[in-house]
Amino acid sequence: MSGRHRLRALGALVVLNGLIPIRTQPFYVVYLLASPLSFLFFISVLSSGAFVPFGVTGGLILTMLSAGTGLQSDMTHYRQDLKFQDIVVASPVEAPTYVTGMALSELVYSTPGLGVFAVIFVVTGLANLQSIAVLVGVLLLVWAFASALAFTLATYLRDVRETFMFSPLISLGLSVLPPVYYPIDRLPHWAQTAALFSPTTYAAQLVQGSVGLYSLSFGHALLDWGALIAITAALFLVAAFKARWKEP
Amino acid sequence: MASAVVAQDLFKVYPGSHSRTPALDGLSLTVPTGGVYGLIGRNGAGKTTFVRIAATQLALTSGSLSVLGHDVAREERKIRERIACVPQESRPLYFLTVEEVVYYYLKMRGLPSVEARRRTREGLEELSLGEYRRRLVSQLSGGLRRRAMCAMVLASDAEMLFLDEPTTGLDPIARREVWAAIRRASREQRTILLTTHYLDEAEALSQRLVLIERGRRILEGTPGELRGRVRYPYRVALQEGVAPEELEPYGRVATVEGGQTLVFAREREARELARWALERNLRVSMGPVSLEDIFLDVVGRSIDEDTPAEDAEPGHDEAKA
Ligand SMILES: Nc1ncnc2c1ncn2[C@@H]1O[C@H](COP(=O)(O)OP(=O)(O)OP(=O)(O)O)[C@@H](O)[C@H]1O
Ligand SMILES: [Mg+2]
Repeated sequence: MSGRHRLRALGALVVLNGLIPIRTQPFYVVYLLASPLSFLFFISVLSSGAFVPFGVTGGLILTMLSAGTGLQSDMTHYRQDLKFQDIVVASPVEAPTYVTGMALSELVYSTPGLGVFAVIFVVTGLANLQSIAVLVGVLLLVWAFASALAFTLATYLRDVRETFMFSPLISLGLSVLPPVYYPIDRLPHWAQTAALFSPTTYAAQLVQGSVGLYSLSFGHALLDWGALIAITAALFLVAAFKARWKEP
Repeated sequence: MASAVVAQDLFKVYPGSHSRTPALDGLSLTVPTGGVYGLIGRNGAGKTTFVRIAATQLALTSGSLSVLGHDVAREERKIRERIACVPQESRPLYFLTVEEVVYYYLKMRGLPSVEARRRTREGLEELSLGEYRRRLVSQLSGGLRRRAMCAMVLASDAEMLFLDEPTTGLDPIARREVWAAIRRASREQRTILLTTHYLDEAEALSQRLVLIERGRRILEGTPGELRGRVRYPYRVALQEGVAPEELEPYGRVATVEGGQTLVFAREREARELARWALERNLRVSMGPVSLEDIFLDVVGRSIDEDTPAEDAEPGHDEAKA
């Protein structure tokens, strides 16, 4: 496919999987808001408001992660139940174009969540040039690694039912156990070490650092960026070499 | 012109499969460029496995396979640029309208909007889907969904189409509309690999056919050649009950439901039997065997003997492509 053809394919996938479903089911627009808003609610109540900024930065990251969860179940459903992946494989559309198009379409559903949290982010006084730049960069990386991971998993799962089992496990591993919603020093020592394996730990530290919730030295921030980029790259490599575009 | 598909000694064993017999067991065949090539065979014979391997959706265990002049293992990208597929049991996305199913598929393949719109309109009209254009897939009957899938790939610009049971669940009129569209595609020098359990369909559409059983080819050729390769190329049907012993000298006797007796015979014996029946004022009809008769005969024997008919009948040479 030439560049222009790829753009058409991307556009078609975004409309197909992102915009058109809303016509028949408007609730798609708000479902991704549910979890991050309930976390924010719990955290605000339990900390008497003290941890609201953590709930906001965590909510932004979780909203992006949820785009990956949505991608994983959509792709599994399309592959297994509709044979849509087979249709796409036997066409000029290459795997990276398909995944990118589908991942972009999931962003449509993240937009309301990102919007709501962005407003709270500004209202609670967390926004400045630096924190916005860090936030945008971090969220793009979270979207990228979550999508690569989702694609790889979706090509292995045998049934959509399996996504119901995997998605909560992945959310647990990526958003609840790692310090996305609280400062890392709240965790016992062993858990801090374990958290280093999760890319969301670095994502959260960078965002928390940029809004002053966490004191982050320049060197530490560089390390965090390096780790986040390295894990994203590793998940891209896994997707490129291990995802089953063609079935074995 | 070069062949569209050249398959040599294909083996496929699904990973983790506990079955001792491979899904493809040394399958070789050649599909000429342009026209319809039919794949027939019982459930589980290996048709879908072959189609999926040729459409680059499934990896081959061993053997060599080239599609449109490119090797499926090394040059799959070049193949994918030029093919389209309706997988068995595929369904359109339920939230789209019929028109969107076709249009966005074409856009996804990289066609510009104007051309995609024109092809969508023509493709839907060809399969009489015009009146359902704006209908949501979720509100369509099963057959209409299947027709939308057919319209989708037939409207594409692909040179080679893989249609795995495209007409399952279609009414007889809709089925003939799909046939007409397939014939049109074949006149445009596109190659269509078609699997079907409707043997009248296989016969009506295919220039060549292969009968697969347990992952092996047991018959291959034009419909006429297949007839020439069976022991008894004629069928004589007698309405009234006649004692089978009286008929046995003429050929193979099969009693079918409704008191009808079928005799499969060589041409001379068939004519003799028909004359014999007419002299006795029995109702009789005679004609060449149908593809279904061949299927029942050859596959039936192959199951009985547990060996492919081609190996069992050395007197019959393989029809050359
Ligand atoms: N994913 C799979 N894993 C393991 N075995 C499989 C798989 N798909 C098919 N098989 C086996 O491979 C063999 C050939 O199956 P295939 O689907 O190619 O048959 P088919 O000729 O298309 O049958 P049908 O007419 O029922 O569609 C069967 O024995 C089947 O059980
Ligand atoms: Mg099949």
